[in-house]
Amino acid sequence: MNGRKSFGGGGGGRGRGAQGAQQGKDGQQRRPMFRRRKVCKFCADKIDDINYKDTRLLMPFVPERAKILPRRISGTCALHQRKLRIAIMRARQLALIPYTAE
Amino acid sequence: MNRKYELVYIASPDATDDQVTELHTQVEAIVQRLGGKIDKTENWGRRRLAYEIGRHKEGTYVLEVIDGTGELMKEIDRRLKVTDLVIRHLVVRVDEVQEVIDRTRGKRTEVSRRRRVARGLPPDRQPGEGQRGEPDDDRDDRFDLGEDMR
Repeated sequence: MNGRKSFGGGGGGRGRGAQGAQQGKDGQQRRPMFRRRKVCKFCADKIDDINYKDTRLLMPFVPERAKILPRRISGTCALHQRKLRIAIMRARQLALIPYTAE
Repeated sequence: MNRKYELVYIASPDATDDQVTELHTQVEAIVQRLGGKIDKTENWGRRRLAYEIGRHKEGTYVLEVIDGTGELMKEIDRRLKVTDLVIRHLVVRVDEVQEVIDRTRGKRTEVSRRRRVARGLPPDRQPGEGQRGEPDDDRDDRFDLGEDMR
């Protein structure tokens, strides 16, 4: 329900206008939950260098179980996910990032 | 042909500072003997390991940026493998990746400069110009997992 609210709240985002119109027409609730459009963090922040030494950058992509966060959740683009994967694997070798959670 | 490599090794936590320095001089000696050059050395100091390596829970990290041949790195790799004081090491070639990074950065600034000139602005961003950062959005649910892991 808070999704409805945020339509009125204004602000950027794609397809908002179209959605509003649609709802006006048939009054149907197509999407009960508002989902933020996922953006690749590295594209958005213009981070070219995904380095294995930069644990602060990598940590958000290895949540609790220390598995690599899949693209469908993080929204990372294919190119950057590939680079990210390599960086994480290197950081794991150096015990900067865990392989598993104990 | 000389290439650029990064070498990170983790010295055992039992090693004294002198022994760590000794390790560095050993690496340096090999690099010099085989016609290489050390561009940079960084000692990250004692750090906690993310997992136990042979019942060690922490270690002293040292990073060396080395300019040299593949044979040189092979020799260093071999030597570090047999050195008991080094509990883990990693050699990564960095010159090609760095080139790609520089190229994308260069392209980006060039494009932005061209666009700015086309809009009749000076090519470089002036201080105090441009949009301010978005205020923090607590509804940002992209993923807050892992933040508390640090």
